[in-house]
Amino acid sequence: MKPGTRLKSAACDTEVMVIRTAGGTIECGGAPMAEDKPAEAAALSPDHSNGSLMGKRYVDAENTYELLCVKPGKGSLSVDGVALVTKDAKPLPASD
Amino acid sequence: MPIDLPDAEHGPPIPLWRWADRQLRDLATVTGSERIAALDGLTVVGERGSARDFEIRGRRSAGVGGSHLNPTRDGSWFALTIMREEDRAYLPALFGKEGMEIATEVEIAAEIALHDSNDLLAKGRALGLPVACADEVPASPPVEVLARGTQRRRDPGHRPLVVDLSAIWAGPLCGHLLWLAGADVIKVENPKRPDMIRSSDPLTFEMVNQGKQSVAADLTDPATRDRLVALIRGADMVIEASRPRALRHLGIDADALVREVPGLVWLSITGHGATGDAANWVGVGNDCAVAGGLARALADATGEIGYVGDALADPLTGITAALEGWRAYANGEAVRIGFSMSAIAAKALSEERAFDRPALDAELRAWGANVGKLFPKVPRRSGLGPFRDLGADTEKWLGTAPAC
Repeated sequence: MKPGTRLKSAACDTEVMVIRTAGGTIECGGAPMAEDKPAEAAALSPDHSNGSLMGKRYVDAENTYELLCVKPGKGSLSVDGVALVTKDAKPLPASD
Repeated sequence: MPIDLPDAEHGPPIPLWRWADRQLRDLATVTGSERIAALDGLTVVGERGSARDFEIRGRRSAGVGGSHLNPTRDGSWFALTIMREEDRAYLPALFGKEGMEIATEVEIAAEIALHDSNDLLAKGRALGLPVACADEVPASPPVEVLARGTQRRRDPGHRPLVVDLSAIWAGPLCGHLLWLAGADVIKVENPKRPDMIRSSDPLTFEMVNQGKQSVAADLTDPATRDRLVALIRGADMVIEASRPRALRHLGIDADALVREVPGLVWLSITGHGATGDAANWVGVGNDCAVAGGLARALADATGEIGYVGDALADPLTGITAALEGWRAYANGEAVRIGFSMSAIAAKALSEERAFDRPALDAELRAWGANVGKLFPKVPRRSGLGPFRDLGADTEKWLGTAPAC
């Protein structure tokens, strides 16, 4: 998958932009995400329903994956079932 | 005010300095301040580039790193600013291509040439990169009322208290002008993340923050945030330049405070607007000037596109915010006013064209003809007021932490 690809949640309104990825399955609300929404919505898994926040960046422990939330939703993001966490805010730029 | 002709080493006056000067004349009138009356527009737009010996560099902005203008597939120009090395991690997503995080300027330019400007803009803004296009129309009005509250009548001779939460140049310059005009200004910084130009650009930092008191406050701590909100409730004006979302995440509701506190004037400075999609976009002085049409204006006047001045949207916005803020304060209004840097650059350009187009075009031509020269020299303003160490006034304004 190319960086910059937009993925949609099958279980909620969440949309992300892929910053970095490897071979794993990117999920939201417990269901795999795809470039198009499925005809029938997937069920929101209670284990993956902490929500996604607009503008937040989500990463895995190894920093192999990074997703930018461009539309928030009720599902939380995971890769192969392992929850992603928000990346800490970085300091503001030094100059312009 | 007479201006020196360019000498062999230094370039011509920064275009739009006369627009800045007229706003300062208005500010001097509404504030009655002799110190503002003594200030000129050329100094305010040029003092950063002058102090730092910036060079006019055409399609590269002045200063370290900076912003670059490159042609797009659809015949426009795209300004990309890489302000933090870690932002390079977003270049693969911007261009849809692996490996771009280590790309050279030449490779980035080659990639920009393969894309249309609107696609690059949409993607860059979603990624939180400061990007602009030479032919875009600013998304928001330059000055916009975001919330209103009830009026407050103040005693004659009341000295305004300003809480300045902003960083870098535009917001702090606004606070500096209000300080020159007689306000007490408290600069608030997160001790873990102080205003970055404190260390990276001390000359500019001291210029626009001299005389301000300094409070260190980590607003992610709820008790500290509550004490800051209490300070704001007793203040007359607030200057803030964070993205609206960031403020809400901290639990500070600017609109609610303006509705609740009579006479509170809240100045919100953004790159491209405080409402809608544009509220999420990042913008800094150079790319906002491009988004406001200044690079295109240079191309129209000279045939060669390039940056005009140094982060010119910053000082134009700082002056505008001080003027509008003081006007609202003087009327006793409670109001939150949004200032969009890209739209203010566009407004200054259009007003200056209407005011004296031949003079503006002559200055743009002179600017374009002086690539390689240093910025014009203007006097350095220092020692006007005491300079306080970070957090020196925290206890005075926030008190000590309550026992848990």
